[in-house]
Amino acid sequence: MDQRFRDPCYDSLAITGIGHVLSTPCDPRPWLKVKKNRKFMGAQDDLALVSAGRALESAGLLGVSLGERAGLYLAVGYIPFEEEDIDSLLEVSADSEGFCMERFSTEGYDAVNPLLTFKCLSNMPAFHISANFDIQGPYFVTYPGTGQFYLALEEACSALKMGLIDVALVSGVAHQRNFLVNHHFNRISFPVPSERLLDGAGCLVIESKNHAAERKAQIRGRMLNCDVSYSTFHPFEDRLHHTERFEGLTGADGELGPASLPVALSLGSHGYIHHEAETRDGIAASSEWELL
Amino acid sequence: MRRRVVVTGMGVVSPIGDSVASFSDSLLDGRSGIGPITLFDPVSLPTRVAAEVQWGREMLRDRKITFAQVAAEQALDDAAARKTKPRGDGGLSLGIGLELFSMEDMVKSRGNAPRPAASQQERLTFIQTPSDLCVHLISKEHGLCTPPITHVSACAAGTDAIGSAFRMVADGRRDWMLAGGTDSMINPLGLGGFCKLNALSTRNDHPESASRPFDRNRDGFVLGEGAAMLVLEDLEDAKARGANIHAEIIGYGNSFDAHGISEPHPEGRGACQAMKRALDEAGILPASVDAINAHGTSTPKNDPVETSAIKGAFGDRAYRIPISSTKSMIGHLISAAGAVEAVAAIACMQKGFVHPTINLDEPDPACDLDYVPHEARRMDTSIVLSNSFGFGGQNSSILFRKYVNA
Repeated sequence: MDQRFRDPCYDSLAITGIGHVLSTPCDPRPWLKVKKNRKFMGAQDDLALVSAGRALESAGLLGVSLGERAGLYLAVGYIPFEEEDIDSLLEVSADSEGFCMERFSTEGYDAVNPLLTFKCLSNMPAFHISANFDIQGPYFVTYPGTGQFYLALEEACSALKMGLIDVALVSGVAHQRNFLVNHHFNRISFPVPSERLLDGAGCLVIESKNHAAERKAQIRGRMLNCDVSYSTFHPFEDRLHHTERFEGLTGADGELGPASLPVALSLGSHGYIHHEAETRDGIAASSEWELL
Repeated sequence: MRRRVVVTGMGVVSPIGDSVASFSDSLLDGRSGIGPITLFDPVSLPTRVAAEVQWGREMLRDRKITFAQVAAEQALDDAAARKTKPRGDGGLSLGIGLELFSMEDMVKSRGNAPRPAASQQERLTFIQTPSDLCVHLISKEHGLCTPPITHVSACAAGTDAIGSAFRMVADGRRDWMLAGGTDSMINPLGLGGFCKLNALSTRNDHPESASRPFDRNRDGFVLGEGAAMLVLEDLEDAKARGANIHAEIIGYGNSFDAHGISEPHPEGRGACQAMKRALDEAGILPASVDAINAHGTSTPKNDPVETSAIKGAFGDRAYRIPISSTKSMIGHLISAAGAVEAVAAIACMQKGFVHPTINLDEPDPACDLDYVPHEARRMDTSIVLSNSFGFGGQNSSILFRKYVNA
């Protein structure tokens, strides 16, 4: 079924900032308001924070208190639990028979660094963006692929149209050069070679044209249209391909999950851009953009 | 024009009942679902109690997926109880917890044991089970053909899932939605992680009194598990098909604390803002709210901050609103909490009572509101607010109104 974002409001919206990052490690320290939070951050958090910082900088909003009138609409990738953290836990939690709860509850428990909990949670990139850029408005945090970025985009457009916010950060982040994410993409019906899985994040700053005009912001682009549809499938029985295609620019050379579209837009220059994706989770999405 | 959104179906799987009827009876009785952990032996972990769903039925390895499937089935059956179904294309909005990670599998994968390769299901659940499997299974089972949404805003996810679905139906972006939350973190890594954060109660010798929101002697939350689902549709569509209407959703708000990673803003700034936003969207004054289903986790930090936030949003009125914590009975269901508590709020409103906060023997002086201690209170309520606040400062509030057939 076609699920064009009904009652579109694109004409009234403008992209005023774009930013991305395409490699790890990346250094989030220039954007950190609370330096002590660095120790809580995983690579996914770093990526999300850096791309948001770059997008806000390009929008001329860095250092501006965004507060209650800014919202965050974020799609995150699969959970990137770090291998070395797991290994150190396994080492003291197994015996000759396999996993040993007795050892886990004593030696393993003692060995766990509580900070690890924060490094892999799906909502932590949202925390770091909100805390460091003082975003107190509404949010939408979803997971785990290219199609979900479109759902975040839909929510952002809706919130802007409702007047709930003046500024929306719409972001996608994926830390995929990770053993657990690799494990997932290796076992699916059409496996993705690890070298095709990229780390990256992209962020768009979208606001109403009126708000952008009031603050004399430079308009960097606009969304012309957007369609999202879904075909139900059985994840244990059906086998779905993933394809993505860009017109007007070259996307990243590999899979970026929810970061794919915002990174590509950030990499683009001027002109018309078309994006199409048929994802392995049944979502078909397409959009057209104009970058100025 | 915005559409009015009503709840026409409800389903719940909880530690104190696996149907709406049994769940609401238990709430009325103030029954605790907390006991010693039986799903695995926690051995020497500091916390050895939880609120488990006691089932003999066959389940998927990731229990939260089965919980969600059963709650979805119940909600959709309930919505179709009068032999008609919601009009148009349905969608799914689900708050869901972390991917299930198996330490046992991980050890196997590092050894010489053969890896499973027989079926797609075995492959997709080996070591780690992706949480998004759940929305695709349910969408397939029930022909929900708009793109499903997984909400991963931690403890606020269940309320966010319902709130965002409410907006989609209200704006006409979706015809109708199945919305809710599901979670189970009662596994070695989940339990160990929360223990390590000193977030859990260690009252292992007295499980039934371990969750004691707003009590001076509370020492942390208790992990629970379960799921709840609501069917949301346009009021006019529901009336036209003769649906049984449980309640109306009238407002939703969410916010960031933008403060601390594990501690809420000391004055409850974000929580207060979420409540105010829900009131604003509903277009009602604080005086119109008759009861609050609190986040009420029983942690030292949450309960006084939530109390402050309620005072910030409601002013003097805060002292006259009965406030209950469902978590006193079922523990904290993390990503499912908001959805299960939404069912609690609606079911209590329908039955004309406010459920109790059990184990509130000695109120914390910093928690000086009316938390309905020990026993349910007979009371007609027309508008109930439900709060969910997450680790990382994500706050979500939603307002339900009793539906009166005009």
